Amino acid sequence: MPELPKSKVGIIACSGEEIPEGTITRLAALKVLESLRPHETVTICLPLFLAGGEGDRAFARLHPTIAVDGCEKRCAARGTETYSGKPAVSIVVNERASTDDSGLGSARKLSKAGMQVVNDIADQIAHDVDQLLDLKQNRRRGPQVEGSESRNESKSRHAPCSCGSEIPTLTLQIAGREVTLIALPLLFAQFRRAGKSPNDATKFELMRAVRVYNSISNADETSYEEAIMQEYSAFCARSH
Amino acid sequence: MKGKVLIVPCSGIGKSLGSVAREGSYAVTEELCPDRTRLMPLALLVLGEKETRTELSSAAAITIDGCVKACAAKVVEGAGGTVVHALQVLDVCRRHPNVKPSRISELDNNGHKLARALAEEVRVLVDSIQEEVPHA
Amino acid sequence: MPEVNLKVTVDKFTFQIPKGLSYSDAGLWVKLEGARARVGLSDFAQQSSGDVAFTKIKPVGTALDRGDELGEIETVKVNVSFPSPVKGKIVEINPSLEETAELVNQDLYGKGWLTVIELADWESDQRGLLDARSYSALVKDQAEAEMKK
Repeated sequence: MPELPKSKVGIIACSGEEIPEGTITRLAALKVLESLRPHETVTICLPLFLAGGEGDRAFARLHPTIAVDGCEKRCAARGTETYSGKPAVSIVVNERASTDDSGLGSARKLSKAGMQVVNDIADQIAHDVDQLLDLKQNRRRGPQVEGSESRNESKSRHAPCSCGSEIPTLTLQIAGREVTLIALPLLFAQFRRAGKSPNDATKFELMRAVRVYNSISNADETSYEEAIMQEYSAFCARSH
Repeated sequence: MKGKVLIVPCSGIGKSLGSVAREGSYAVTEELCPDRTRLMPLALLVLGEKETRTELSSAAAITIDGCVKACAAKVVEGAGGTVVHALQVLDVCRRHPNVKPSRISELDNNGHKLARALAEEVRVLVDSIQEEVPHA
Repeated sequence: MPEVNLKVTVDKFTFQIPKGLSYSDAGLWVKLEGARARVGLSDFAQQSSGDVAFTKIKPVGTALDRGDELGEIETVKVNVSFPSPVKGKIVEINPSLEETAELVNQDLYGKGWLTVIELADWESDQRGLLDARSYSALVKDQAEAEMKK
């Protein structure tokens, strides 16, 4: 039984050429990739991603991603969601930059203030990377799943991975339809090993972990929570 | 063909030639042919906005790709654009063999030279698209 | 083109390693064709070297021992020379690479071959080469080491 994919976070920047905020996303992402968190992050090239780069898309499906956009159009976040899944974190520079457009310099050449925003955004990205990986690392202690019994409501399978190994999945009945959730058996095993009983605190943590690998809309959250916690309770009962 | 020519760089983040494509595009649209070209961000094409698609479908595009995967050319074609010239920075590299850029985030001297050479080639292509004679 | 079989994925990079070929640890693939061997760059070697701008293979007629320099590829990132995986004489150089060196990146196991060598001691050469499974283990180690740099 494979483990969860090795801990890394994908950074996808819009690199928009028309506004300085686009250049800021590019430079901030590169700063994280090259110096702040070089071993913990992977760059996802947005043009390649959009053009059909399967390696990048597969990576973004199985690893948490941070989308960094220059403006509210959120091209990087929307592209990621379209082709792989909702990013774990979405940063929009012009919502965070404290200097107005003219103070940042031009898209081609940022001002000193613009470079300071680059540093601030890079620090934010690095912090988010740490948060995401801390989540994953705490859950990685645990035995491999021995095997989950299939029930009428849930089916255990494997999601194909481009490396040829397979990430376990579980299909649940959620709000009257079948939903396949990536990595759920492994998450259950890790939470169980960590001694987490099926309660509200565990529910919060588990849902946060599930969201790293699966896209869940806010509207569906309650029904997902119910189904996942029910399944986790059954998993814990079987493991006794 | 009249009207502004769209310049669409890939701006790929993983390679230095992506940065060269980006800088070369700025040189074309801001210095060499500012009134005859417009830079179109590739990322915008993912949104599928009507305005962008209309502009794309009614103009000639020159795509500039930093690697052989040719993402800008593919995405523009997929979005309904007319790619009149699909430039590869690697080909410009071959024509200037001693000019090798080494950085991505900030172009070094070689990177800027290559970007300039690229921009000059694009200018010639813009001229040919618009059937204008270059000024002396 | 040989049937692709083994794959190694590290981060977002996937390296294809066809069965039925042999590999040198320097990253060249070798396909036995009677008394000759066709040689090219493996997927890991071409991905880590970058987009190929030029190839410079030793001329036709050059006699090589295993380990002698076979040629060099020039990419945007690096100039990389490769040691010959076999002993023999160069009898053919891929003419397409003069105009379209990017075939080495785009069709590396097919039209992007580098050279054909007439073999002098295949039995001995074979012992120094890796099969696909052993090579994929090596690629995994090399790729992971590369990511840590």
